[in-house]
Amino acid sequence: MVTATPASRPYWSPYVAGVALGLIVAATYVLMGYGPGASGAFAHLAARLEGALAPGYAAGNPFIAGYLESGRLWAQWIVVEVVGIAIGGLLGAWSAGRFAWRLEAGPRVGAGRRVLFAFVGGATVGLASRIAQGCTSGLALSGGAVLAPGAWAFTAAFMAGGFVTAALVRRIWR
Amino acid sequence: MSWPLELEGAGALATALAIGMAFGFVLERAGLGDPKKLLGLFYLEDFTMLKVMITAIAAAAAALALLAATGAIDLAGLAVQPTYLWPQLVGGLVLGIGFAVGGY
Repeated sequence: MVTATPASRPYWSPYVAGVALGLIVAATYVLMGYGPGASGAFAHLAARLEGALAPGYAAGNPFIAGYLESGRLWAQWIVVEVVGIAIGGLLGAWSAGRFAWRLEAGPRVGAGRRVLFAFVGGATVGLASRIAQGCTSGLALSGGAVLAPGAWAFTAAFMAGGFVTAALVRRIWR
Repeated sequence: MSWPLELEGAGALATALAIGMAFGFVLERAGLGDPKKLLGLFYLEDFTMLKVMITAIAAAAAALALLAATGAIDLAGLAVQPTYLWPQLVGGLVLGIGFAVGGY
């Protein structure tokens, strides 16, 4: 990262990182029969929270009940995988001398607004991932690799939404 | 032994942790732990995300095709994401909006 401490290692070439990431995706398909994802873990967690806070409602809602019936949270493949992503990201940053407490934001936005927008954006991403039944990992990347038509439709729409919205929220990031 | 293995139980969860750690490590080393780099494409300033994504999809597809061509794996055993065109278009659009706002 250009803003990191001078001692930090440079980032990998995006093409080297891309090949490594692609081989990880392929390995997941070979070992598991499906590709890696991300948003499903948050849906599993949210369903368990809903089950704890409003058990009657959760049990009566087929969408939420589907998650609850899949068993314990820590026995879900995607939940353990996402925990691994956090650990791997931490190891990557730490071993490259990039680990630091900071809030990445544009120079023209305060911390409060940045965090508020992060929350609103995160909730929007969460909602969208359930509409599409996937996110940029499980649908765009994993689905793209096996040439799933829906994955490419999703990716095209994702790009359109991102480009249009970026023009409106430029102050947060640039 | 037939491939894909379709692991279950403790072996599947150990694989989940290993795959996740490798996934997170590579994404961080690519620079995609930084939301500014992640969003750079949408400001036409940093194309890391696009380069990594396209290369990863191509590499994964090539690896799977090679393994299938040599008979090492059966492509019919892979879970291909089903097509729900409108939900995937609407979900993609909304996810792009949230992504630009939140930086994911």
